[in-house]
Amino acid sequence: MASSTPTATTLFRRLCWDGTVPIEVKIDSKELPAGSDRTLESFYIRAPRVSYLPLLIQEVKTFLFDLVLDEASAKDMKTDDWWFEAEGGALLKWHWPVGLLYDLHLVAHPAPDFQMKPFTIILHLASPPTDKLLFTPSIETCKQSFMGQLKEADFLRWGNTKRVTGLRKEDQDGLWEGIVEHNFDDFWRIASKIAPSPNPLAPPLTPNPSSPTLPAPSSRPASTQPPSGSDRDNAYSVRSVPVRIYLPDGPVIQDLVPPFLEDGLPHSLNLFLSAQLPLLFKPSPTSPLTPVDPNAPKSNLAFALIQGVIAPLDCEMAWLGACMSGADGWVNVCIGLDK
Amino acid sequence: MEGAEALETYKKKDAAKVVVRFKAVGNAPIMKQNFYKITAANRFQAVIQFLRKELGWKTGDPLFTYINLAFSPAPDDTVANLYKSFATEGHLIVNYSTTAAWG
Repeated sequence: MASSTPTATTLFRRLCWDGTVPIEVKIDSKELPAGSDRTLESFYIRAPRVSYLPLLIQEVKTFLFDLVLDEASAKDMKTDDWWFEAEGGALLKWHWPVGLLYDLHLVAHPAPDFQMKPFTIILHLASPPTDKLLFTPSIETCKQSFMGQLKEADFLRWGNTKRVTGLRKEDQDGLWEGIVEHNFDDFWRIASKIAPSPNPLAPPLTPNPSSPTLPAPSSRPASTQPPSGSDRDNAYSVRSVPVRIYLPDGPVIQDLVPPFLEDGLPHSLNLFLSAQLPLLFKPSPTSPLTPVDPNAPKSNLAFALIQGVIAPLDCEMAWLGACMSGADGWVNVCIGLDK
Repeated sequence: MEGAEALETYKKKDAAKVVVRFKAVGNAPIMKQNFYKITAANRFQAVIQFLRKELGWKTGDPLFTYINLAFSPAPDDTVANLYKSFATEGHLIVNYSTTAAWG
């Protein structure tokens, strides 16, 4: 229940939820009907990270209808045919959270000093390439896709989807409504029934004498021992943390991410990334068992961006799953190259 | 190796194949052969298209696909990713139905 969620967890969830990204929507002027005011070709939005492109259309539509289109064309305009592209022609996925689209753009086109620059996207008013978008661009298919991701995350954590399917219909709909309305309390009142919780009450992990470099920063919740099976919502008792790695211009990598490794140490972002991307991340100092790859870099060549934040590599995967996941339960790790 | 070079290495498509096993749900027709080796780098969308072809489904005929009787994956996820996370005894089990089953 929300009332029993630890304060630190609520704080991180709130920060992720409240995060917004600046977007400049440019309208493809070739597709504007005659009689439109072409001097107003850009529209700026501060979009919630947890939102989706189809949910931004209403706001863009109001702008377009009030200021750009004349009355006759406004009447004929169908938003069903609208779709978005990034500058340069990359198709933007309707079913990926806006924050993920923004972070991926940021790692693929890094601005000097990571200035918060608006992400320019092109709105097309006609002929959506449905075969490439994979979905009919509509709010309903976007909702279905969100529910699919939520269940996939649930299945990864617990080996079944009982937590999500066990919600009443109005609660399932309420989750989506919480995103549409960008209402933290409405969303998390329901989501806290399915999201795992880091367990700060458990005793901290005893430092392992064989790995003196084990970092123990005080800025994050202490590690926990593998808990007993009785703690059904503990982030450290899941089978796997739902995580995807996004490389600039692809591919997307997904694998099983247990919260603890065989040697009993908590699985960290460093261990995870050096195992999945050994050409970019040097072997973790806390993993003495891993044989050193001769191709392994001497220092890290890349960084991990999670929810717009460059994540410290000693973050534990279970903690990321509980505190830094998106509304669909997935931790999206975008990889950028160090300059 | 430079970072950019490493990224290019990760972009290369894996030619490995994995076994996908199709299982009908409800009234959906059963396939005579239900084991197929599919290139792991394919997107799940390719699996859906393959299945539609095998079933002789026309454009617009309803077909719902699920993994492990539990959820519908995103069509742009790769077979490799789904296999790594959800394979059972060396098979990725794909259920198909003509009606929404676990929507």
